[in-house]
Amino acid sequence: MTDAASGAVDRSVQVKLVLLGEAAVGKSSLVLRFVNNEFQPNKEPTIGAAFLTQKCRLEDRVLRYEIWDTAGQERFHSLAPMYYRNAQAAVVVYDVTKASSLEKAKSWVKELQRQANPNIVIALAGNKIDLVQSSSSPSTAAPASDSEDEADDATATPGETPGSAGEPESLRQVPREEAQAYATEAGLLFFETSAKTGQGIIEVFTEIAKKIPIEHILASTRGAGRNGAQVSRPGASRQEGNVNLEENQTKGRDGCNC
Amino acid sequence: MEISAVLTLGEQGIEDAYAGKLYLIPPYLSFTSLDRKSVRFTMPLSTVRRVERLNARAGVYALSLITWHSSKIIVQLTSLRPTADAFCVLLRDALKVELQRGQMKVVKGFVKTCYSEHLLSSSSSSSSVTIADSSPATEREDGELVPETKEGQEASEPEYLGGLGLKFKFPGDPRKLREASKIKLWTTYLKTHGRNLTLLRYPQCTRLVQVGLPNRLRGEMWDTLSGSLYLRYNNPGVYDDVVRQIREKTGTLLGKTSTSFEDIEKDLHRSLPEYAGYQSEEGIDALRRVLQAYSYKNPHVGYCQAMNILAAAILIYMSEEQVFWLLEVLCDRLLPGYYSPTMHGTLLDQRVFESLVARHLPDIHDHFQSVDVQLSVASLPWFLSLYINSMPMIFAFRIVDCFFCMGPKVLFQVGLAILKINAEKLLLVQDDGGFLSLMREYFSTLDDSAHPTSPSPRTRAITCFQHLLLISFREFSSITSEVILAERRKLRNEVVNTIESFAKRAAVRNLRTFGRVGKERAGFVYDALYKAMCEEPPPPELANGSPYGLSSKDVDHGEMAGVTTGTLVQVIDGQQEKVETKIGLKTFRVFLGEIATWARDEKVIFNGFQQRIDRQVAEHELIDRLFYFWDTSCRGSLSFQDLVSGLDGVMFNDLMESIEWFFNLHDKDKDGYLTKDEVLTLSESLLFIFRHEIGDTYLGAVSRFMSNAFEYGDALLDAGHGRGAGDDHGFGERRGQEREGYANLGMEEAGMAERKRATEISNNQPYLNLATFRMVVLADEILESFFETDLAASFRLEPVIDLELPTHASGGLLGDLWSNIATSDNKRIFHKLSDELGKTIGKHQVVYRPAIGRYTRAEEPRARESILSPVPSKSTTGSSSGDSYTLAPSTSSSTLTIEPPLPPLPHDDNLAPALTPSAALSSAGLATMPHLQAVSAAFLERTPFAIDDVGDEDGDDEDDSELDEVHGGDEDDDQVMDEVDAFLEANDSGLSEADKQVARDLVNAKPM
Repeated sequence: MTDAASGAVDRSVQVKLVLLGEAAVGKSSLVLRFVNNEFQPNKEPTIGAAFLTQKCRLEDRVLRYEIWDTAGQERFHSLAPMYYRNAQAAVVVYDVTKASSLEKAKSWVKELQRQANPNIVIALAGNKIDLVQSSSSPSTAAPASDSEDEADDATATPGETPGSAGEPESLRQVPREEAQAYATEAGLLFFETSAKTGQGIIEVFTEIAKKIPIEHILASTRGAGRNGAQVSRPGASRQEGNVNLEENQTKGRDGCNC
Repeated sequence: MEISAVLTLGEQGIEDAYAGKLYLIPPYLSFTSLDRKSVRFTMPLSTVRRVERLNARAGVYALSLITWHSSKIIVQLTSLRPTADAFCVLLRDALKVELQRGQMKVVKGFVKTCYSEHLLSSSSSSSSVTIADSSPATEREDGELVPETKEGQEASEPEYLGGLGLKFKFPGDPRKLREASKIKLWTTYLKTHGRNLTLLRYPQCTRLVQVGLPNRLRGEMWDTLSGSLYLRYNNPGVYDDVVRQIREKTGTLLGKTSTSFEDIEKDLHRSLPEYAGYQSEEGIDALRRVLQAYSYKNPHVGYCQAMNILAAAILIYMSEEQVFWLLEVLCDRLLPGYYSPTMHGTLLDQRVFESLVARHLPDIHDHFQSVDVQLSVASLPWFLSLYINSMPMIFAFRIVDCFFCMGPKVLFQVGLAILKINAEKLLLVQDDGGFLSLMREYFSTLDDSAHPTSPSPRTRAITCFQHLLLISFREFSSITSEVILAERRKLRNEVVNTIESFAKRAAVRNLRTFGRVGKERAGFVYDALYKAMCEEPPPPELANGSPYGLSSKDVDHGEMAGVTTGTLVQVIDGQQEKVETKIGLKTFRVFLGEIATWARDEKVIFNGFQQRIDRQVAEHELIDRLFYFWDTSCRGSLSFQDLVSGLDGVMFNDLMESIEWFFNLHDKDKDGYLTKDEVLTLSESLLFIFRHEIGDTYLGAVSRFMSNAFEYGDALLDAGHGRGAGDDHGFGERRGQEREGYANLGMEEAGMAERKRATEISNNQPYLNLATFRMVVLADEILESFFETDLAASFRLEPVIDLELPTHASGGLLGDLWSNIATSDNKRIFHKLSDELGKTIGKHQVVYRPAIGRYTRAEEPRARESILSPVPSKSTTGSSSGDSYTLAPSTSSSTLTIEPPLPPLPHDDNLAPALTPSAALSSAGLATMPHLQAVSAAFLERTPFAIDDVGDEDGDDEDDSELDEVHGGDEDDDQVMDEVDAFLEANDSGLSEADKQVARDLVNAKPM
């Protein structure tokens, strides 16, 4: 009976996902785009960590992402284990316009691979791709200045862009190929994203969803449900489920459409 | 000096008299009532305009103080007459000093920066300045200390400092906040109780703070209540100075000067972005200046995310300079360690909060344990941002009001109240996420009615936030500052250990290569390094090329990558994502002393009570040489990696490798040859290493080495000069059969000498090559065995014992007691004491412990009949009969714990376990403790110094039970005064009626 009820309420599978990466690479913006389909140019820095949820349909399964968006500044590093413990997935974010952020990302990957859940699915996301994109278009002047403006008021952090105010391509410090090669070598999913335009965001979460051993999680959480607080659990999860459903409805359609 | 006193306010009927203590801590005069919370003041002596001894009843010794703000304060000194006299003399002297410093004149300009002056002069200029000027000096015992100054009556422009709110509006609806009536109440209070520098904090003050400060006065009251006002008062111009320095430096370096500045830049536009002030350049610039100034002046803190939010919030109410000093007080005193690179203060207070929850809300704690929910996921940001980014700002500011007035305990009280109010729902929470959602939901309802269904409109009007404050201060009044302090003390070690083990894991993980050292031993290296850094912190400018000299810690935790501040800052390479902690030479000496037996002087001391080892860091050129030898990148500093690699290069060497290593160590220019000077230095190094060895064995060996080296070296030179005429010339007989073996070496040497074409070689020219050196070493059995095993074995990696922080696991009453007592200072005193005792009973004995310890007896092997040895071995062997100290017999009879000292070792033992691990010895020290515990305990019980008690003007001890008196609608402004009255009536000041009468009489007493 209890099993049936819980099955009905949350057919969804809970997936704990943690975002890591250097400060101001756009972790929070990435989540905000995914969860609320919004973009705030000046997102307040995360203190400790923020928590958001989003449901996502994959084939006949519903995944409920519990997203932990962590603080990026180095001194918050020692708090990170609190957030990535038991995580089934991680998105390690870097900024394509800042080479050092990839180095930081690599060290996070290293830490996750050694300290976190052994089956953790890790995705590497190079964010702020919008800042380097106009390079593909042949016309130079107009898009370039456009992109510079964006850099000033939007995702790029002031004072951080290299002095040369010229080609947008010069903003790119991490070549796609380099990051891709690293991701392949380290066994990570790899994406380039823009929280500002929304490019690539859904894909990150979709690919993670595909890669996650859902049956395994399902089995383990059911087991936990049975062993653990059997009485209170269905009620509690129903409550949470409702809240999030409403949120999602009001915010409109933005989940994974696969 | 402190003295018992009874405080009365000059205007009769305003306040009760309070008994307490008056403290004179120049340049401050301070008072605290006996309960340490009802009444307090701290005023700079320069604001005391007149002191008079009052003519009162016999036996009553009273002073009347008139402050800058013309408040008349009467203190009745209730101590014995001589004490009171002494106090008065000191007071007079201190006031004179202030007068001479010219501080008295500063007050006038300073108070103008305070809004309260403006408020009072505009509201009623009539009564504010009357008393001081009117009464001319009469006869006095304590002297007329202050010349009459013309009090500023000039109607001045409002010069008071204020925040962005003055221009960009304050958050919240002024009518809803009842600004006008709050201002009115404060005006009355400030008129009668002094203000800013001379504010007297009576219970009503706290009361008024609890209903929320009015926006315009908020900044100044934060300034005053937190005590940052005094910093600002005592450091005029410092802020402007810092800002100017930064501007000058950043001008040249394009503003990208330090990690902190980079981080600040990232966050400027992300600090309360919805507030109008931060959508303008003006606000952003102010925020930048303040944060930069703070991080520049406090490089050990630098900049931590969350500080931007705090600073941005405070800037709405205060000027930049005020914020600057308030940050100082915040980071230094109120929230120590919160924003430091390790954030240990934050973690500590989270642990404290957790333990308070376990104690006061056990159900929630147990439930959270059972479903594995971590409290900190929600509570950490509460504390770190003073609730500012957790709840709507107008409410958070009310908490901040109380925080500055009553101290950090407020954060805990509010946190506990939040949990208590939501207890039912919290018990249903199943995971971290649910917990956070619930909290978020709750914070969004703070403005709602707490009792929406109540029939009484008055009750309905109580908001959830008021309810929260009520619960905080009523239900958790037992959470006093003392409780917090005690908890912090208790949990401190645990937290520090956690942080340290985390840092250690990360550091070991980030090593590029372990070499032969291995992971476990790398951990020991880290421990030794950490211990060394505790004892001898690396200089701040080290390891960092930043012109601002951030501490190495800061750099360690800063995000350095991609910094383009010129060539000084190293850019990250490959695997290394952050710049490591680096140590300088001084720290290295300590570190090496931990690891290498010869890099420390260890005195084994027997004093009849205990046997212990006093360890001192040795200083020698060899150690410095090693430092630069390991500093492969020539930065004048060593990283953890450098140390591990360096140790890797020496600890696992065999004979030949060891010889080569030692040779290279002394070959400064790395040309493959030692100069004559270097040979001498090398010999000195050997002597240094052997300095504590027993007997003359090593001395002889080194002396043979020197003569051999020079003889052989010279011979080779000669040979070179003679163009190979006779490579065995001069030492033919001695080389004997071995000539063949070394012939080729000789040739090589000869070739070198030939190249040099020098007959006479000067002291700093290439002289001895490795092969020759090797030969000379191998010619001596003692040196050979030294290089074969002892050198490598003299580096020991073992778990660091007697770390400064006692481990928690030690457990047991005695363990705890010892760890409580065993601060290094106490230990020193204890040791000194027992030494003295030992000396008096003639049992004191000091022996240096040898670093190698191969020959524990003075007996020594006969020097090998070396073909090279020109020195008759007679001299050394002769000396062996002379008896020198051996350790074994020195275990004197009456030591309480007799550690078998260094057991004589078999001669050919490969390892040299000469040192009994100091663990054994420290446990010996521990075992002796019970006998002298009482003695040591006395050192512990230090009476608190007056400053400890009084120095915290920030109001740690305010009464928080006041809300008990009032139920419910504490916001209702027309009720406020009634409540305050009721409270005051109910609150006994701790004086009998007769005392009060005396005090009242004093108000009318005439000066003598």
